[in-house]
Amino acid sequence: MSWTGAIRTATGGMRRHKVQAVVIGTVLLISTASATLGFALLAAGDAPFQHAFAAQHGADVTVTVNDARAGSAVLAATRGLPGVTAAAGPFQQATVQAEQDGQPFGQLVLAGRASPGGPVDDVVLNAGHWPDGPGQLVLGGSAGDGTQVGSRLTVTGLPGTAVLTVVGFANSITSSADGWVTPAEIGQLRPSGAGAPASSQMLYQFASAGSFTQIRGDAAAVSHALPAGAVTGFSSWLTAEDQSTGNSAIMEPFVVAFALIGLAMAVLIVGNVISGAVVAQYHRIGVLKSLGLSPAQVVVAYLSRVGWPAVAGCLAGVVAGNVLAVPVLHQSSDAYQVGSQQVPLWASLAAPAGMLVLTALAALGPALRAGRLSAAEAIAAGRAPRSGRGYAAHRLAARLRLPRAVGLGLAAPFARPARTVVTLAAVAFGATAVIFAFGLNSSLSRAAASQTQSGTVQVLVEQGGGPVPVNGPGQPPTAAQNAAVTTALAAQAGTAHEVAMYENEVNVPGIAGSVHAEAFGGDSSWTGYGIIAGRWYGAPGEVDVNTAFLNQSGLTVGDVAAVNTGTAQVSVRIVGEVFHPSKQPVLYGSTRTLPGLGTAANLWQYDVGLRPGTSTDGYIQAVNNALGGHSPWAATRQHDGGKFYTIATGLVGLLALMVAVAAGLGVLNTVLMTTRDRVHDLGVFKALGMRPRQLLTMVVCWIAGPAVVAAAIAAPAAVVLNDATLRAMAGTAHTGIPASFTQVFPPGRLALLSLAALAIAVAGALAPASWAARARAATALRAE
Amino acid sequence: MREQTMSGDVIRLDGVTKSYQAGAPPALAEVSMSVAPGEVVAVMGPSGSGKSTMLNLIAGLDRPTTGTVTVAGRRIDHLSETALAAFRARHVGIIFQFFNLLDDLTVADNVLLPAQLAGASRRQARARADELLTRMGIERLRDAYPARLSGGQRQRVAIARALVNSPELLLADEPTGALDTAAGHEIGRLLRELNTAGQTLVLVTHDPALAQAYAARTVRIVDGRVAEAAVRA
Repeated sequence: MSWTGAIRTATGGMRRHKVQAVVIGTVLLISTASATLGFALLAAGDAPFQHAFAAQHGADVTVTVNDARAGSAVLAATRGLPGVTAAAGPFQQATVQAEQDGQPFGQLVLAGRASPGGPVDDVVLNAGHWPDGPGQLVLGGSAGDGTQVGSRLTVTGLPGTAVLTVVGFANSITSSADGWVTPAEIGQLRPSGAGAPASSQMLYQFASAGSFTQIRGDAAAVSHALPAGAVTGFSSWLTAEDQSTGNSAIMEPFVVAFALIGLAMAVLIVGNVISGAVVAQYHRIGVLKSLGLSPAQVVVAYLSRVGWPAVAGCLAGVVAGNVLAVPVLHQSSDAYQVGSQQVPLWASLAAPAGMLVLTALAALGPALRAGRLSAAEAIAAGRAPRSGRGYAAHRLAARLRLPRAVGLGLAAPFARPARTVVTLAAVAFGATAVIFAFGLNSSLSRAAASQTQSGTVQVLVEQGGGPVPVNGPGQPPTAAQNAAVTTALAAQAGTAHEVAMYENEVNVPGIAGSVHAEAFGGDSSWTGYGIIAGRWYGAPGEVDVNTAFLNQSGLTVGDVAAVNTGTAQVSVRIVGEVFHPSKQPVLYGSTRTLPGLGTAANLWQYDVGLRPGTSTDGYIQAVNNALGGHSPWAATRQHDGGKFYTIATGLVGLLALMVAVAAGLGVLNTVLMTTRDRVHDLGVFKALGMRPRQLLTMVVCWIAGPAVVAAAIAAPAAVVLNDATLRAMAGTAHTGIPASFTQVFPPGRLALLSLAALAIAVAGALAPASWAARARAATALRAE
Repeated sequence: MREQTMSGDVIRLDGVTKSYQAGAPPALAEVSMSVAPGEVVAVMGPSGSGKSTMLNLIAGLDRPTTGTVTVAGRRIDHLSETALAAFRARHVGIIFQFFNLLDDLTVADNVLLPAQLAGASRRQARARADELLTRMGIERLRDAYPARLSGGQRQRVAIARALVNSPELLLADEPTGALDTAAGHEIGRLLRELNTAGQTLVLVTHDPALAQAYAARTVRIVDGRVAEAAVRA
């Protein structure tokens, strides 16, 4: 037989086995899609800030300049300063207060730019279009929390009413502004009153900007090149990087965990499908050999037999992976705060190539064996499982007081131990992913609740909600205005707790740079900070600190630290480690412990806890009514600092679903292959009076036993994985974690979640089991 | 629905046609026949004549395209798969040419299987299986696996399995076709003994000697049609 004939034989065989070809193609489609997505996520999680910074030509330094002191020509001249490699601007900017639907939206730094691109700070438009007319605004970040393309923001504190319509969302890698309008628009948004100088921003890249020292030197060089007092502030890429990684590097460990689970499972399933497909054809191979097919032709014929559906599946899979990656990478880029991320080309090439190599390897062994077998051996090998396997299991099952169909089903996997082990592993991976996802979701929810204090501090009273500036720039609220807040809060029946919070920087020997101190003016034990070790402070002289503080100071809980508050040097005892993911060391204590912090200038906000049943919106409205329109203070909801957590839990859910679907597909394939192997036996069962429901039960039970074992493996594996992932996440976020974050698997819940293995198995087995149950007995008996 | 036939026949086929492919000649065409209780009928014909199709229709393993099939007083041609399975378990025992024993079950478990599927009590099923294994002369093989048995022994196991639910009708599809002459005679003798005890038997074979030796009546099928029906003198 010619080589062409051999290939034609294989192709002809494939046409007659459409279901198998479809299964091979589908499994490779899912696996390749998963692998593409997995690679894309791995790439997305690999130094996302650095990659985005390079791609978007991020600004090393953003300098804010007083327009009155330095005009455009002077600023433009700074492009030629020694060390400056690129510059953009000047872009006029304005700091405004905004409202949405009558509610405070917050302060926005807006820049006037004609286009998002440029030599420095290439802003990435995520949605909508760049402003091209009056009244249009592109906001930084992405849509959500009630703000969409088309939302309208009212700028307060200006003569007349300025309404800006959100026409898009964009991302600047160094957050050079909170939003962008046209250069013509920005002039309309600058308050005309005294004390609000018009300013512009210049964006620079320098030859040397790798450290804070170099950045300070670069900024000083610009400052010296401009008239005195022209530079009013600057920000560096290092600060932006810190904010980005401090929040979102937490994603990386679980993304990596899911990507690895998905890849491992894809390898298992593809290997199982392909080797099963070749083994299933042994009988046909024997027949073809008896007709003169050479061993080499057998190998080529059967490699090409699985090859065509595999190639089709891989190609479709890489397309599906890229399509699927769009929303996933959108979420990922949101979480990493890096604008946009794409599937790298290498991922689109490596995923299908890897799967094809895997397919070839999986098929090569059985195909070579088929080539070596004599015709008679191949015919015999293709008929049934090797004699002797699973007999003891059937004997035992027959003795058990189980419905016979159940006993037959439970014993069946022992006839094909290798296939059973691979399927068990696939189900175990799927169940691990599902249990892990639930655990991680709980852990992240607890982390979010702890970090945002959403469960305890429902309302904040902050400065900046009213017309700005009320007291003039740099002027803190007056004592009367502060007292009005206390009075307003005390007057509300819904107030359960309230405490004033003061913030300032302090110094602690052993820590380079300053320590951020948060001092409470009253009882703060109810505020609900997550405690990693020790307890919340209770007595004067006691403080809590975050992990970064302990790491940088070398102190531990129980140690005494010297704190210089600027007005006094005090010794404090560290009684607890608080969950606060940040590189910045933070210290918490009472204003009595930290003298000099409890001043009007340091008064940052009031934390308010509501009584159960109190309407948060109604409460906020009532407080703001009591404060009146001219107070610098305004009540708001607790900030949604948990956006990262929302994105992360969404991503966790999607990844878990993908892994579970792939595992279910692996089960479907196994049951389909076993059904084909045993189609004649199924016909015999039917002929002997086995009812469709009994047959369905038996086939489902083929996989139920392995699923129970998979559940027993998956449950502890998921607990360990959750614990390790959380610790890795905490490590990247420079924090320890409270024990409660990992204690999310009480025995009852874990047992319930373990049923995921059974659910995956049953879901995967149900379709082929139903097909088998519906088949006519005579058809099954004829199908050998 | 139970429709006892006027004559009390165990099997009644009325105008049964079975087509597998539209446009192709039917495997069975307008076949009508009946089998009385306690009768042994041999269905004969060349390969592809429609013998096994007829047996499948009588056993409820397949459905006719047109016509009615009544077995043990019940029309089975329009029953659901579930009802058909229950019907087979209770009323029909089937013996196959190639035994169709389940290789991974012991002899005893093979015999017990139909009783267990039908929901018989363990004790009753075991007692019945023991009785049949003894009757077939294979009680010492109860813990053996089919792969270790001779063809004759396997067919005895298959007969015991077919009888475990005491069916009114025993269908045998080429029961000696895979056996040597001696084993074939043994199986033939067993079937005759069963018939002597009152068992209704339909024997599908293309072996005239077998039909002649054991059947009281022969139905000959050619190209899906009943070509001849003869009663042995």
